[in-house]
Amino acid sequence: MSDQILEKCRRFIGALAHMRKLQMQVIKADEKSVTVVLPVQDQLVSSVFGTYMHGGVLTTLVDTASSLSTIPALKEYELCPTLDLRIDHMSTPVISQPLYAHAECYRVTRNVLFTRATVYQENPNKPVAYAISTFMRPGGGNTDPAFKAIVDGIATEIEPELKQRQIKAGRV
Amino acid sequence: MDLLQQRVNQAHASGNYQPVIDLIPYAGVIGVQCERFGEEMIFRLPRNPDNIGNPTIPAIHGGVIASFLELTAAFQLTLQLEHPALAKIIDFSVDYMLAGLDRDTFAMCTVERQGRRVANCSIVAWQERKSQPIASARGHFLLDSFSSLT
Repeated sequence: MSDQILEKCRRFIGALAHMRKLQMQVIKADEKSVTVVLPVQDQLVSSVFGTYMHGGVLTTLVDTASSLSTIPALKEYELCPTLDLRIDHMSTPVISQPLYAHAECYRVTRNVLFTRATVYQENPNKPVAYAISTFMRPGGGNTDPAFKAIVDGIATEIEPELKQRQIKAGRV
Repeated sequence: MDLLQQRVNQAHASGNYQPVIDLIPYAGVIGVQCERFGEEMIFRLPRNPDNIGNPTIPAIHGGVIASFLELTAAFQLTLQLEHPALAKIIDFSVDYMLAGLDRDTFAMCTVERQGRRVANCSIVAWQERKSQPIASARGHFLLDSFSSLT
């Protein structure tokens, strides 16, 4: 079961352009929680300052991990947009280590999903940031079937119909 | 004169803020730009296929929008401080109002209060018109911690 969840999360992340750009990976996923890693990479290291300027990218990591944690919380895949995201930064991450985000969806209601996440580097018990977010459920049938098929592993790439619609909208 | 001060001064003189923005690598990754109109700074996130986080609409990744707001506040503070420093984020809270469509996004930051150590910022992001924001945020930044960087 955990393997299936992991695969589902990996397919979701693989379908998003920005995740590929950042080489973000799901390293663990089970019924309760999801862990995502942001590897150390040149494009995020400042050439001017010798420190890791995490400006912004930590937020993207948290949003991704929190969003992923809604997948095991729901029976069927639903694409839930973020409603609110709040992050507390406890310390500055260092340059030399990857950044991990561990997220869980702790409550599911008819309309809203509640998640919390911690961001850490070496020691999971010493988080650099803590975040809580809420996600809106899209309501019955409002998740694009083509995208759901990708996450469920039924389709491997964007379906022709979906692609056609995007081209029409001038977005590809 | 330190590097940051130098870049900020040059940017104010020339109107080209890119060298300041390049100080934070992730701003370059998502493509943040900045333009000055009188005393006001407007930040722009040009349409970028690499920023997509919802391929069905398609819409910009929620994290990218939040980061854009956060970077807007960080740069606004850096550019308006008497002695430029890179503000360190304490906390940040984002409200998402509309899906960020695959087009240019704009943002402005208002520094509600700037104390000796902490600044309170509120930021708004829009696409079509400012009165119809796609997201807004508020956050606190620590101002006195980055002297070691320069």
